Amino acid sequence: MSTAPKKTLVVTRFDPDRDAAPRTQRYEIPVQTDWMVLDALNYIKDEVDGTLSHRWSCRMAVCGSCGMMVNGEPRLTCKDPLRQYGETVTVAPLANFPVVRDLVIEMDGFMEKLKSVKPWILRAKELAVEAGPVRQSPEQLEEFKQFSLCINCMLCYAACPVVSNEPDFLGPAAIALGHRYNLDSRDEGASVRNQIFRGEGTVFSCSYANECSEVCPKHVDPAAAVNQAKFNALIDWAKGLVLPRGRQEQP
Amino acid sequence: MTRPAHPHAMQPSRAGRTRTAPPLLPDRFPFQGRYLAYTLFDLTGVVYLIMGFVVLRVVWALGDGPQAWQAARDSMASPLGIALHGIALVSVCFVGVRFFRLFPKAQPPRIGPVKPPPRPVIYAMLYLVWIGVIFGFMVIINGGFVG
Repeated sequence: MSTAPKKTLVVTRFDPDRDAAPRTQRYEIPVQTDWMVLDALNYIKDEVDGTLSHRWSCRMAVCGSCGMMVNGEPRLTCKDPLRQYGETVTVAPLANFPVVRDLVIEMDGFMEKLKSVKPWILRAKELAVEAGPVRQSPEQLEEFKQFSLCINCMLCYAACPVVSNEPDFLGPAAIALGHRYNLDSRDEGASVRNQIFRGEGTVFSCSYANECSEVCPKHVDPAAAVNQAKFNALIDWAKGLVLPRGRQEQP
Repeated sequence: MTRPAHPHAMQPSRAGRTRTAPPLLPDRFPFQGRYLAYTLFDLTGVVYLIMGFVVLRVVWALGDGPQAWQAARDSMASPLGIALHGIALVSVCFVGVRFFRLFPKAQPPRIGPVKPPPRPVIYAMLYLVWIGVIFGFMVIINGGFVG
């Protein structure tokens, strides 16, 4: 009879009712070779310690719920194979976020920032339904498609050194999503978003560490989006100076 | 050892009812893993600041007459001056390579109807301009435009 190999998971625990600060707890568990880090956490939750709290949902890198720091790196735990790590694996909540409990972070700050860039299609005047769909060519789709693949997993926020130090910074995912709509041929709100992007704590706070793109599990490349948004915000500002009537009608 | 991030990093504008633990910096920031390159990139700013003062001093000496100018040139030839220029050269090369690696993807897909050239062309243009500027400086330093 063969025994399953074992690994030790060092998991951050925090109970706001009992703990003054986060602490760590070690779990030695049997593991399967095809497990992801999330499978190990679910094993702990189901078989060892039911008090462990962590977020997860789809288990296929689509919902973006299970982002955590694994051995100090922001990772989507459902697509992070456990076998690539050694005997001991540390799992902590995402860096740069307040911790609600154990591995669960406070998301409201991110949601506020996301909403502030108006990540939806803005139009100066809505078309009548009878006018039919607004058509888009494959080339037009290609311009923003990469940035639309963001699943809001917030790994980019956990990696960004500006987010660590500048609370007002909108952050990579929010700016990437705003930029995605600015590039969308159906959208007419670029001037509105560019005005937001020129404000305090926005695109110009980015110092181009490029960490957001390094850790993005969907290869969205938020650093490219942020720095393209800088360029567009500047162009829009210059156009406003030279051609005061040349701007788009604001929706 | 993980250090705390800004206490208000990613905090919502209104605190919730549940007490939260404060945010922590990424474990590897600022000197481990990929953060090291970023930190060194930022630290080159200190080198440029020092070099800025050195250049100001040299320009000042230029206005103080031939003897001051010669003294400034002699100080540049000292081991300290050579070391400083060596560090500055390494810093410029490091920043140049990192900047050139990241610059092409910061180009917007188009400006109005104009699309940027493909990335290999942008890379080639950047390095050509860089080599051209360095060559120009070398010509100037060697008195190429004098007389």
